[in-house]
Amino acid sequence: MLSAPSSSPAPAGTWWPASLREAGLLLLVAVLVTGVSWILRSDGLPLTADSTGYELELAAPLIGTEQALELFAEGEYLFVDARSAVETGEATIPGAFLIRAETFDDDLLGYFDFMGPEDHFILFGDGNLLPVSDVAARLMERGYDNVFILKGGLTAWRTAGGEISHRTGDES
Amino acid sequence: MKGILVLACRLFVGGIFIYASLDKLGHPQAFAVAISHYRIVPYPLLHFFAHLLPVVEIVTGSALVLGIGRRGAALLAAAMTVVFMAAITSALIRNLDISCGCFNTDGGHAVGIDLLWRDGILLLLCLPPLLARNPGFGLDRLFRK
Repeated sequence: MLSAPSSSPAPAGTWWPASLREAGLLLLVAVLVTGVSWILRSDGLPLTADSTGYELELAAPLIGTEQALELFAEGEYLFVDARSAVETGEATIPGAFLIRAETFDDDLLGYFDFMGPEDHFILFGDGNLLPVSDVAARLMERGYDNVFILKGGLTAWRTAGGEISHRTGDES
Repeated sequence: MKGILVLACRLFVGGIFIYASLDKLGHPQAFAVAISHYRIVPYPLLHFFAHLLPVVEIVTGSALVLGIGRRGAALLAAAMTVVFMAAITSALIRNLDISCGCFNTDGGHAVGIDLLWRDGILLLLCLPPLLARNPGFGLDRLFRK
């Protein structure tokens, strides 16, 4: 039914279109079965997922902007910009160190004289927590235990009225 | 002899895909969580994939075992295996410490290099049913004139 209606083998090079057609038909059958089974299952999951149902397992605890602003004012915590693509002139939190997941070891080595495992850190990104969590995990692997992640990233910081500076070329 | 090899590969690969789909079909929520751990699929599509993937696996596996649309099924199985290998490689590169969700949605095998070897072998076993001219005893014959 799904194969070419011939008992003789297809000549070399001509079976690809038929194979793709068969694969497409099987995929179509699977989609139809999925649709029907989804309709029939009363306890079925909704077809689209809500991200809040899948909380990310972050490597470090989150910290709110209000608390982060207080800690920034106290000057006890070091802020780390963990965004992947940060260009010169881009807005950031004043004094933030730039440590990216892609260049983690080089970035950390560059700040060797300025930070140590005994320091407290607040990492921030901008909307995507995953790269920030990756940087947090790698810092913690190296013994930096006091690591927090800024909830909402730079956007939330800005919205809360946090101080902003512009990154210079020497920091990256 | 070639027919027997194709048949053996079809039964093995088809059986693996059918087995892999069973737990996922019964636990779509748990499978959605397993997929989410890879951090590849956007959240709005998680449930869609959690519903669709096990059905594609069981349809492909059944087609291979029964010998219906043999080459198409083998192509689909090979394509899925390549996608699984890409997902595992991506998780390994990002140092994600997660379970693979391949056969068991409740924990299961952790993502590692050994899974790439396993999937590599599965991919090789997809080749005889895909490339051989001899279908190796399948229901396809019943539908031919």
